[in-house]
Amino acid sequence: MSGEKKWVGQALERTEDRTLLTTGGHFIDDLTLSGVVHAAYVRSPHARAKIRHIDTSRALAHPGVCAVITGEDVAQSTRPQRGRVPLPNSPRVYAIAYEQVRYVGEPVVGIAAVDRATAEDAAELVHVDYEPLSPILDAEQALRPDAPLVFEEIGSNVLWHDTFPYGDVEAAFAQADTIVNERVTIHRYSSTPLETFGVMAQYEPATHSFTIWGHTQQPAQDLHVVAAAFGVSPGQIRLIIPPMGGAFGNKVRPLFIIAAALLAQKAKRPVKWIEDRRESLLALGHAADGIMEMSAAVKADGTVLAIKFRNIENEGAGIDFAGRHNLLMLSNIVNCYRLRAISYEGYSVVTNRCPVVANRGIGKPFMCFAVERMMDAVARALKLDRAEIRFRNFIQPDEFPYETPGGQTYDSGNYPEMLRKALARIDYAALQREQAEGRARGRLLGIGIATAVEPGGSNLSYGMLISGPSQLLSGQGEAARVRLETDGTATVFTGGLDSGQGHATALAQIVADELGLHIKQVRVATTFDSASHPYVMTSGVYSNKFHGHDTVAAIGAARKVREKLLKRAAALLEANVDDLELSDGRISVRGALQKGIGVAQVASRAYWSLADDQPDGEPGLEALHYYNNPLAKRPDEKKRLRVQLGFASAAHVAVVEVDAETFEIKVLRYVVIHDCGRQINPGIVEGQVHGATAHGIAAALLEEFEYDQDGQLLTTSFMDYLKPTAADLPDIEGDRLETPSPLTLLGTKGVGEGGAVVAPAAIASAVEDALTPLGIQIATLPITPSRLFDAVSSGMKRYERQKQNSEYRRQNPE
Amino acid sequence: MPENISITLHINGVKRTATVEPRRSLVDFLRHDIGLLATHVGCEHGVCGACTIMLDGRTVRSCLLFAAQADGAEVLTIEGLAKGEELHPLQQAFQQHHALQCGFCTPGMVLSALELLRENPEPTDEEVRVGLAGNLCMCTGYVNIVRAVRAAASDGKVK
Amino acid sequence: MKPAPFNLLRPKSVDEALALLQSHGDEAKILAGGQSLVPLMNFRLAQPHNLIDLNGVEGLAQIKFDDQTLSLGAMVRQRDIERSTSIAEGLPVLREAIGQVGHPAIRNRGTVGGSLVHADPAAELPLLSVALEAIFQLQSLRGKRSVAARDFYQGYLVTNIASDELLIEITLPLPPAGAGWCFTEIARRHGDFAIVGAAIILGLDHDRRVNFARVALGGVGPAPVRVTAAEDVLVGKKPDAELYRCAGDAAAQAIDPPNDIHASAAYRRHISSVLVRRALATAETRLKEPE
Repeated sequence: MSGEKKWVGQALERTEDRTLLTTGGHFIDDLTLSGVVHAAYVRSPHARAKIRHIDTSRALAHPGVCAVITGEDVAQSTRPQRGRVPLPNSPRVYAIAYEQVRYVGEPVVGIAAVDRATAEDAAELVHVDYEPLSPILDAEQALRPDAPLVFEEIGSNVLWHDTFPYGDVEAAFAQADTIVNERVTIHRYSSTPLETFGVMAQYEPATHSFTIWGHTQQPAQDLHVVAAAFGVSPGQIRLIIPPMGGAFGNKVRPLFIIAAALLAQKAKRPVKWIEDRRESLLALGHAADGIMEMSAAVKADGTVLAIKFRNIENEGAGIDFAGRHNLLMLSNIVNCYRLRAISYEGYSVVTNRCPVVANRGIGKPFMCFAVERMMDAVARALKLDRAEIRFRNFIQPDEFPYETPGGQTYDSGNYPEMLRKALARIDYAALQREQAEGRARGRLLGIGIATAVEPGGSNLSYGMLISGPSQLLSGQGEAARVRLETDGTATVFTGGLDSGQGHATALAQIVADELGLHIKQVRVATTFDSASHPYVMTSGVYSNKFHGHDTVAAIGAARKVREKLLKRAAALLEANVDDLELSDGRISVRGALQKGIGVAQVASRAYWSLADDQPDGEPGLEALHYYNNPLAKRPDEKKRLRVQLGFASAAHVAVVEVDAETFEIKVLRYVVIHDCGRQINPGIVEGQVHGATAHGIAAALLEEFEYDQDGQLLTTSFMDYLKPTAADLPDIEGDRLETPSPLTLLGTKGVGEGGAVVAPAAIASAVEDALTPLGIQIATLPITPSRLFDAVSSGMKRYERQKQNSEYRRQNPE
Repeated sequence: MPENISITLHINGVKRTATVEPRRSLVDFLRHDIGLLATHVGCEHGVCGACTIMLDGRTVRSCLLFAAQADGAEVLTIEGLAKGEELHPLQQAFQQHHALQCGFCTPGMVLSALELLRENPEPTDEEVRVGLAGNLCMCTGYVNIVRAVRAAASDGKVK
Repeated sequence: MKPAPFNLLRPKSVDEALALLQSHGDEAKILAGGQSLVPLMNFRLAQPHNLIDLNGVEGLAQIKFDDQTLSLGAMVRQRDIERSTSIAEGLPVLREAIGQVGHPAIRNRGTVGGSLVHADPAAELPLLSVALEAIFQLQSLRGKRSVAARDFYQGYLVTNIASDELLIEITLPLPPAGAGWCFTEIARRHGDFAIVGAAIILGLDHDRRVNFARVALGGVGPAPVRVTAAEDVLVGKKPDAELYRCAGDAAAQAIDPPNDIHASAAYRRHISSVLVRRALATAETRLKEPE
């Protein structure tokens, strides 16, 4: 009987794995078309420059070259983009640089040739005449009224600026016994999917339409962006998204798709572009760097009453994510704590660096870093234990549903239990004794604590806080279609996408339960095709939405199919629908189990036997379901809205040792207690926790996109941009807490981003704790041995970002 | 105009002949000229290990070899590991232990693990981590990969 | 990132290789293991018109001990050094160094000669060659010559090898019997080039005074550095922690390390003293009574 969960909850082996382990073959570079040619790009060597002249004649004449495009071509043939969430003053950008370059690595000329090597040979034959200008690189400097402008047409480098007061902040500060101030910064890094961006575009001149295979995380939105760029109907764009080798928020780059499509149009042949690693590090997208100033109103007993925030996010030269890091940080900003009031002033600033993308956690790693650093600072100021300060401020388990000052509703959780479990797992008291004994011998052992909420799904109405109430895009939801095949197996089509998280297995588990099928009888069509898959504008893979949206859409469609199936079976069995049981591929009459029929039989007739009566009114056994989350509404007049649609949570405890002489940092142990409510597949969930946590640890200790004062990216290969290897990461141990969500059909909460959000804060806390004898506070990331040494040996009490790029140069007056 | 080079080699036990441009990398040759798509390109500068295959019984980064250099060699890619329907013990272990997510690093990772276990049949966790440090994974955090390799090792069936 | 076009030349003998080198001169590069060269070519930072592939040349891969030396052919694979039991016994400092070179797949192809001639100042083999006072055996059609390690490394990625010369073999003088040794480095990640690397050999006489000291550092300048100032501190003294600390300080004073994105000059200087000190202590534990 439906409701019995046979597959959901099991740590089943994934259905995707066999193919991935044997023949592969489904990634974008595994696909090809007859006559395909390959693209390469000439990229800007300057962070900011006018393009005076481009000479492509030698490239065009090179044997094997089919087409070349410049910004002029793009401006003539496509309409400019104003960003996914356009601001009233959004500048216009084209798929490749037009008239001006705004970051090193920005594409300037596109070339299509018989193979990639030839295209690169031709790229060397292009001559671009630049007039270099002084770049602006630092976000605080970019705020100055005399700073060079990244986009002249907006008249400033501020894409967005707003202030959100929630609750009576002034009253809270008046009641405070102590004010604790902190300033922290975070660096640029990225989850760098191992598979780089790819796109293959084909143009059909007779119908002025495109078929495009490629990458995105929001297929419907990108499809519309591409259609709008070419001035065609969305029906003239067919977008096909094969499984991606990781995306992590980085693969939302419709400009890349537009460029390839234009090349295909010009070349009159399909064009394939596979980003190489250097291009990916230079230009795919970075997590925003930022500056956060905070002031906390604190009582003597450690209660934090309110915090004022001032956040400056550096968007680079991109307009797609204006304000979004800020707003998503704001929606999670009270973290796990019972703050009464907050005020948040946010800036979204452009500079001449690589555009920013929604890298895993989009802003929340910085938010968690900032808030958790503040909690540690409060503990230090009041001489309280860092775990204790959190216990005193946690939202309590009996306070759910809990409404935050900003209008978010935390649905479920047990933060004290989560932290208690983590501390017990690490044996906190024993570790503190070991630490004290070690300190006496000069051993620097540190214990780091960080807790955070992890949202599951975003209400895209929040864009209205940036672009205004007339924005069409709102809410959150997903679409799915389930088809029972003639042999009684089922196929699932969804607007959700595959980027490695095992969605196909999870959906198969869900649908198998709904339809009483064996897991092997359910397949999910993992290559999205806009021609055949259902979608809504919020479709895709991002923001931890899968657990509460893709799942529900699939359940809805499966239940509709089930209803049709039972109606048919009832007619065939001459029984009442309510008396039927469905399990193990068979429909039988309750109490008369021998009276039954196979699902396959019923399904087969639904398609074949059109001359028969159709109990359901129509043949076939397929159903479509659109789900929109009823919690995802528009903002109210006070700019409050439910941005996040459910909250998971986690407690991380890290144990590190810092070598007192070399300042090398070793993570000795790492514990995660994670609560994502009901788990569809604990094996998959655990893997997500491991992987996300690894991202966070690496962001804290290894990875950084470093620019010099001319805006040159210094880390353009994996030799310099340091990803963690298996030898650089600890085992990640953990356990789960399960407080089901009352908001989702299955009781699930989000998973995927979480570890990446919390780990940087946990590592910073641990290193700071280790360095207690030296009295140095960690106020920025990454923490490297060399920089730590430099800070300590110069007597600094704070490990903070050095004033780089603090002076922009005025050498070339505009 | 550089002279193309004729090569003869064995790939997963099958003899192949081809004529290649000198600069054609071995990984591009395997993928696009031979059609063995499971091996992937992740960086083209020899760091990520996604392109790892075995050449004459040793793991190599096939993005740093030219196809012409494989003349006369025996190449093993992950497509050559399973015996028909039967997965190699390492493939089975990876599947059982959720040691892959997006799967892009997996072919290279499995072959590196194979070499590791051939040389060190009972590695510790640390030895597994060091042995696989030449293969980057962006998805798993390596925890389940280590578990899978240890499990395959303790089953004792890896050859 | 595809390389620029080039001709691939595949000699079958050293003479053939030398003839090709002479005729192509500056327009050719040697392809040995390819682990350093091919990335540069893929980035188009190197665009040789011709590659002379040594992988088919016989006779360049011998590992040969005699009483005084270990000779390694230029094409000896780093992995074969790692696996060699004779090297593990006969020159363990080499075994220790090679384990820190990259990762197994790199060592499977990477060669001794390739690493030495590429001359990355943070690489392990060039550093060890300087510490051991290796002799580089070079050959061209003009003849053979031997170059001492201290003369071979001339600057950042610049060596004494002429454009028509091939490194055939390297001769490593063995340390005195019973000498202790240590090869250690600090790197951002396992397998990376060193931020600073230290190669130490320490020998004591019957009075337990230092009579043989080699202290060499990598990653602290354009080429590996033999820190004779530190050696002078050690020779003739009885080893103790204070002596090692002085040697470490002397090393730190003697060098002029660079700043780069991975480490500051000040940090490099500081860890040089730490590494030398720690390596000396480790070397001491490995001293054996001479027979």
